[in-house]
Amino acid sequence: MKLAGEGGSSGIEPDGNALGRVYADVEAYYSARVARYGATPLGVDWSCQATQMLRFVQLLKICDFAAPFTLNDIGCGYGALAAFLAMRYPNSKIDYLGVDLSHAMVSRARRRFSGPDRRFVVRKASPRIADYSLASGIMNVNCGHSRTTWEGYIATILRQMRRTSRRGFSVNFVVDAARRSAEPLPDTLYRTSPQPWIRFCERELGCSVETIDDYGMKEFTLLVKTNQAH
Amino acid sequence: MGRAIHDSTTLDVLSQLNKRFGPDEIAEMVALQKEFTIFSAQRKLEDSFALLGIDPCDRSERDRWDRFLYSLKDYKSDIPNMNGYSRVIKAFQDALTVVSHFPPIPKLPVYVDVHAMDEDDRVTVTEGRPLIFSVQPYVILSIPTKPGRVARQQAADAAKKRRAAKTKK
Repeated sequence: MKLAGEGGSSGIEPDGNALGRVYADVEAYYSARVARYGATPLGVDWSCQATQMLRFVQLLKICDFAAPFTLNDIGCGYGALAAFLAMRYPNSKIDYLGVDLSHAMVSRARRRFSGPDRRFVVRKASPRIADYSLASGIMNVNCGHSRTTWEGYIATILRQMRRTSRRGFSVNFVVDAARRSAEPLPDTLYRTSPQPWIRFCERELGCSVETIDDYGMKEFTLLVKTNQAH
Repeated sequence: MGRAIHDSTTLDVLSQLNKRFGPDEIAEMVALQKEFTIFSAQRKLEDSFALLGIDPCDRSERDRWDRFLYSLKDYKSDIPNMNGYSRVIKAFQDALTVVSHFPPIPKLPVYVDVHAMDEDDRVTVTEGRPLIFSVQPYVILSIPTKPGRVARQQAADAAKKRRAAKTKK
């Protein structure tokens, strides 16, 4: 399996106009979700708090909690990860920055979780370089865009995460295994196998990748190490 | 269920439970139990279901659902000296906890059912094939219930008897 448009030397990112439309649609989609469901897992399209936390557990495996670190949370939503970190790692020193396209999400996150080492910004990408970045679920809902455009959007996000992560980053995807599921998944859900994105991260971003796919969900998590000395 | 919550809520909640603990999602539930110990004697059943997002879709029914779960403490179960509330927790805990074994034994999905309280007033846990259209085996957790109208009528009759007995005195 190849990524749509993969193989050319120019990469697979869509042009600025197409990318702008994707950003606008994603922003509108999640702002509508949080307006309808509030600062809850449903507000960011997850079925419940428990599955949301299980995803965080996988994504956070990229981080070394033995020492203080900085963390960018891309597509932070209403700040559920900030709350999870405080609960699960109360003694760890983590300088957290939540980044989201949606004003509505970020204003809720600020109201609930802002603190000295916990900030939230409305941006397309992180304004700072951190030790680690992670993104939970932001690759999944394609808002009706074509596979080619959506994969271009994902590639753009991964490049940005690579640029703004000193030690590594982690992302998750819905696995392309509709046959494993009794229920058909909606067309607006982007599904993929791990290989094309592992290849992308290794070849295009120069990283090494570890895949986690044994946590009971129909998805997988990529832990992407930058191979930079720290 | 029965008098405690609306019939439509009972159907709604049973449907949610049987989807989340069904064959398609049981692996996810097992992983969640392993990571977070969702079901345990140290956690309220109401909180376990809330963590899993299993709540009546009708918001106005949510308090009644919680009250119903709490009321399971007054139910008997198929384990002596264990009430229905603790039995439900134990049933999910057992169903989702992986015991070391080689080769690994796959966990059965859980089917949540109801049965007539007049026939058996205990919360029961068995194994079987509850779906006539499927050969899939399940752990079957069954809650005793009676129709709301019958329960109300019985409560009214009992109250009438109490009043009559009081008047005779």
